[in-house]
Amino acid sequence: MRYAKNSASRQVTSAFRRNAFGVSRRRFATETLTPPKKKPRIVRRIVLATTALTGTFYVGSAFLAFNNTDYYDFFSEHVPLGQSMLEYGEANHWDTMTVHSAVDYTVRTATSIKDFIVEKVNGAPTSVKEVKERVEKSAHDAKVTTIRTVEASKERVKDVAAHVRTNVQKEEDKLTGKAAAIAKHQSEQLVEGLSDLVRKAEEALAVKPDTPASDSDTPSKSPGTPSESATSRQHDVYEAPLPVGFEPPPGFSLPPPPKKEPPPPKYAELPLVAPAVSKLASSEPIISHLAGTIDNLASFLKSNPEAASRVTDVLDLAKNDLSTLAQRIESAKEEERKGLEAKLDEQTREYTLKLLETEMEAQDRLDNQEEEFRKLFDLRQSQLIQTYRQKLEEELKTQTDLINERLKNEVVAQGIELQRRWIREIKMRVEEERGGRLAKIDELSAQLKRIERVALDNSAYLDENIRVHALWSAIRGLSTSALSSPVRKPFREELRVVRHIAAAREDPVVAAALETLEASEVPDVGVEPFADLASWYTTSVAPKVSNVALVPDQDAGLLSHLASHLLSSFRFKRHGLVEGQDVLSVLSRAEYYLNEKDLDSAARELNQLKGTAKVLLHDWLEAARRRLEVEQALEVVHTQATLASLLVV
Amino acid sequence: MSSSKPVSSEDIIGQKYDRCLADFLVKTGVGFSVGVVASVILFKRRTFPIALSTGFGAGAAYADCDRSFNPARIPGTRIIPASPSPSGTAPDEHKHQV
Repeated sequence: MRYAKNSASRQVTSAFRRNAFGVSRRRFATETLTPPKKKPRIVRRIVLATTALTGTFYVGSAFLAFNNTDYYDFFSEHVPLGQSMLEYGEANHWDTMTVHSAVDYTVRTATSIKDFIVEKVNGAPTSVKEVKERVEKSAHDAKVTTIRTVEASKERVKDVAAHVRTNVQKEEDKLTGKAAAIAKHQSEQLVEGLSDLVRKAEEALAVKPDTPASDSDTPSKSPGTPSESATSRQHDVYEAPLPVGFEPPPGFSLPPPPKKEPPPPKYAELPLVAPAVSKLASSEPIISHLAGTIDNLASFLKSNPEAASRVTDVLDLAKNDLSTLAQRIESAKEEERKGLEAKLDEQTREYTLKLLETEMEAQDRLDNQEEEFRKLFDLRQSQLIQTYRQKLEEELKTQTDLINERLKNEVVAQGIELQRRWIREIKMRVEEERGGRLAKIDELSAQLKRIERVALDNSAYLDENIRVHALWSAIRGLSTSALSSPVRKPFREELRVVRHIAAAREDPVVAAALETLEASEVPDVGVEPFADLASWYTTSVAPKVSNVALVPDQDAGLLSHLASHLLSSFRFKRHGLVEGQDVLSVLSRAEYYLNEKDLDSAARELNQLKGTAKVLLHDWLEAARRRLEVEQALEVVHTQATLASLLVV
Repeated sequence: MSSSKPVSSEDIIGQKYDRCLADFLVKTGVGFSVGVVASVILFKRRTFPIALSTGFGAGAAYADCDRSFNPARIPGTRIIPASPSPSGTAPDEHKHQV
């Protein structure tokens, strides 16, 4: 875009310049045509005077300005073209010029002018000089523009560099030196490249004007003085731009010397026209011919000055030749002008292009560099930021870690303390609660246990009671059926019930007693009631035993029996508890015991009898013993039941 | 003895008396009748055979009765008490062959 814009502006400027060229060319062409023909001397004089006055004014002002700063300011600001004049003066080192150097310079200029005048005696067409002037001007313009652009670019570069430098300085101290060095280097390189370019351009420009000058050297006889001064001035002007490289690059002041060298040969060549032209003779035969005629004429005139009249032929010839030459020169001039113009245009274009390209390149490079620097700066900044952030983060992390750890420890310690306190509190509360509700609960549970125990005891007691009661009932039933019944009857059922109940209580004594009782056949048979036994004894057993009371224990025959039976009926009956071992006493005692309801003692008494009495008492004793057995067993069971009932309570 | 119903122990002596009487009667009657027959047939109506045979019968009955009362009294044998018997203990009877 920028390039396009630049190119557009360049084109515009070039076009404008070309137009200006065209206009000026036209004007100068007219001017070149007019002076020798029509215009009176007054105009020329006025022009000369004005030019001289303006030239002296400008030159003097420039010198004055260099010596006086106030005037410098005034001159540069208020006088038109003053600034450019000053610049030109500065370019030519006028400010440093001494009187001696000025004198030298003027002397040299004068000699050069003189030489130039001598050279241009034949009158080189002013147009050529004008063309040259124009060319030079354009070259100067181009140079100035290039310088300006270079300066501008340099300034820009400097600005950019300064900007970059400042930026970089701000960013990083390390980078600044490098960046500044790089920028300086870059700018120097650029300046050098530009100066080289300018030098090249100037060389090219310097060479170009020379060739037309050398071309126009040969026919320089006809032109008058006015143009000569201009040419000399132009020469001066032309010479001046060569050291234009007053800019920092030092190598630029070198080119002028080779350019200044050519003039001396010119001075040397001038006297001899033919040898100088001989080089061109091959291409321009007319010139060589003319040169030869001129030389001839000159020699002729030298030899005899008074024979000028005879020279007319030669002069006619020369005129013809000159007219043809003029025509040819005109055409050549035209061609040359055109070619030069084209070349100049081309060169200007080329150089401007190059300049712009370089400028662009430099700009691009600078931009790139700037971009790079910016990038680098950004990168560094970001890196620095990152590193610092990282550091900061690390620091923060460590700090936070430390703080967190401390906090954690504190929290843990506090938590432990709190927990301890809570535990203590909870313990206290629990103790209180325990002292309150839990104690109540304990009490209640203890009471419940007590009640339970009581209930269990009670139930056990009740069970025992029931069992004892059942046992008692069974025993009562058994005794009722076995002993107290009025008739003899079996009691196995009752005995079984009693045994069952007793077995539940697991009483070994009762079990043993009942077992012996059960093992016998007594329960099936039953026992005689006591009344029966007593009546049986008194009614049948006792009388019959008393009948055999006198029977001896052994060998008791019929007679003894009969005798006992008879005699016993005569004996006195004894009653009550009587002493004596005889049968009747025993019987009376048994009877007494039976009356006392003491079956056991009665049975014991009767059991002591022997012999026949005992045989007679056998059945009764058996019955009494059975009853006694049952009675004893029941007594044992009864005692156990009583014990159990006593234990229960 | 022949009765099926067991006799009570106190009635043993009376039973023996009954049986002895019955035996006596039977045996004396048998002897008397035998004597009568013999006197009539053999002795021409003499009285002594009648008395003799009745005596035999009565004697046999007595012997039987006595043996019933004291079964250990066997002719030719004599029971000697082993020791002066203590009271309250059953007498041990030892039979000695005479």
